[in-house]
Amino acid sequence: MSALASPSSSILTASPDQVAPGTRWVAPALVAVALIVWLASMAVFITHPLAELPLYFAKRYLVLDATSLLFVVLVNTVFLGISVYILSREHSSAVLSHDILSRAGLMLTFMLIINLGVMSNHLILMWALIELSTLCAAPLVARGDAASPKSVAWRYMLYSAMTLSITFLGFMCLAQSAHLRGVDISFAVDQLGQALSTNSDGWQRLGLSFMLFGLGGKLGLAPLYSWMPETYEAAPTSTSALLAAVQFNISVVAVFRILQVFQGFESHFVSQELLLMGYLSLVVAAVQVMAVRNYKRLIAYACVSSSGVIALGLSVGKAAAYGVVLYIVSNAFVKSLLFLTAGRLRAVYGTNDVAPLSGVIRVMPFSGLLFTVGIFALLGFPPFASFLAEMMILSGIVQAGNLMAFTLMCVMLTVIFVATGRTVFPMLWGASRREGPPVHESWIAALPKLGFVFTLIMLGTYTPKPITELLIAVAQSIGG
Amino acid sequence: MTLPLILCLVATVIPVFFGKIGVAPTWLSLQALALGWISITRQSELSVHVLALGLEVLLVRAWLVPTLLRRALAGQSAARQDLMPSNLFAWGVAISLIILAFRFGDGARADVRALTLGVVAATVMIAFLILATNREPAAQLVGLLFMENALALFESLMPEPWPLPVHLAVSGVYILTVAVGSWLVRGHSPAPVAPSALKDMA
Repeated sequence: MSALASPSSSILTASPDQVAPGTRWVAPALVAVALIVWLASMAVFITHPLAELPLYFAKRYLVLDATSLLFVVLVNTVFLGISVYILSREHSSAVLSHDILSRAGLMLTFMLIINLGVMSNHLILMWALIELSTLCAAPLVARGDAASPKSVAWRYMLYSAMTLSITFLGFMCLAQSAHLRGVDISFAVDQLGQALSTNSDGWQRLGLSFMLFGLGGKLGLAPLYSWMPETYEAAPTSTSALLAAVQFNISVVAVFRILQVFQGFESHFVSQELLLMGYLSLVVAAVQVMAVRNYKRLIAYACVSSSGVIALGLSVGKAAAYGVVLYIVSNAFVKSLLFLTAGRLRAVYGTNDVAPLSGVIRVMPFSGLLFTVGIFALLGFPPFASFLAEMMILSGIVQAGNLMAFTLMCVMLTVIFVATGRTVFPMLWGASRREGPPVHESWIAALPKLGFVFTLIMLGTYTPKPITELLIAVAQSIGG
Repeated sequence: MTLPLILCLVATVIPVFFGKIGVAPTWLSLQALALGWISITRQSELSVHVLALGLEVLLVRAWLVPTLLRRALAGQSAARQDLMPSNLFAWGVAISLIILAFRFGDGARADVRALTLGVVAATVMIAFLILATNREPAAQLVGLLFMENALALFESLMPEPWPLPVHLAVSGVYILTVAVGSWLVRGHSPAPVAPSALKDMA
């Protein structure tokens, strides 16, 4: 394994100032770029009323509609938080300061690709951009300090390529379906619907099932989920947050685009496939959460269960659409909050295992409190947005008359709640084994996490009208 | 257009049965030459767009990526291993998948479109088989590149060539797959894949 596979001890023990002279400007520059992009996305949100959308540009390859606007704002907000976290960690992490330049470069390229992908109006272009984002993220995953980070990064890349190839097989089946009916097909999102058939068509169904199955793998839905816990655990925490809260959402956009294109076509078939993947994911996540004794892996399995909830909500369609959109938005903040706080825990305790951590709230009062808040938000407690969203999804499932899905979701979420509490609460509130005063925590490290908590509470209690309208518009676009 | 399609199929099937990983760049180049041939001859008139696409296929897929892969494999023990394990079971599965792929293509003798679809499906199936049967990362990387060539061949089934931005993105994926993949698999011993991961991959 090369030197990059695991950071050498000399790097780990060296002071940041000695390791990388001349790169102190990188982290502030990263924050500056993230801030500019975030301000630009907010400016677009404020200056473009929903009635004026969609706007096509770059020869109609890119589109600004409610879906792309929501996700551009979301991913850039999360990225701003992650970049501030990196700035705060650079001062205390010699490994990070050693390779900050390449990491920042990869992250910015990744974000550029994600922004283009979210706005893409062409399914094959979006497909290629999702794969490109994976190829940018793989070297970031390989910078983790697991036993063999390159192996993990390779498997992440392999899984991604496989799931996206399955998605591409779906495109091929759609093309074959159109050809057999003598129809020209274009993969532009706003034109693909014209090539679909309202009659039952085997090729079309096969294409749809491949696309949803492949993209389901990118979302961490069972059965193609196993890359997710492994990658999220082994990657550096900032990268885990980037994958869970940013890359996850470009795959969500791809699924939304497919649902938008297929509105009125094969809705029962879509519903059944999503339902099945949702059931499987919730069961898998519940069983794994009971067994896991590693807090990063626990968050990762919670991501699998979140994907299951999203799939169940999408399977219901109209009744739960608003809840699903709110759930996706709140989840991006919950995952970022948890992973970034987990990064602080890892920096102090040097392990991802739960066993050596006890009484975190006494050793690191602020991070311990934020982790507690994050866990409560993850488990769907009020006043966080995830509570409201879960209630809406459950209510939608009941309205749709699917009592099986309702029961399974309630049971599995209860199991996940109990298992998570059993693992995490002693870690947070148990007797501390460390002596000495609490660890000093800088305000700059807390700033992004506080922002995420504020947003979660705001979305769960009082959502400003423009944001509500945007969420409704996205929900309507997927059949809500 | 039948001849380049047959060339593409041969360049996919032969290495799976008889090829070593170290020779895979040559087979990838052959696949790309066939792809370039198809790209240029599929349109009745040669436009700047078609020429640019053909040139891009030849430069990126036939020369650049095989060269990068050859460099990555140079001196590695993995280069001397078979691309797919040589046993009757794997061969039997491969032959079945190829036959199935041509059934998917709706009868290869029907027309060029059906033959193309059969070649695309056969290449994708073979790529999945390489990924499923060989735990050597270098072989898996070759499997991924086979798959991406199949996806590029799919373009010839479309009424119009993909627009340039789509092409650039797909070529970017191909180049970055070999660049990042080579970096990740270099000096990489067979990965200890978790049983659950294997179960999902299968």
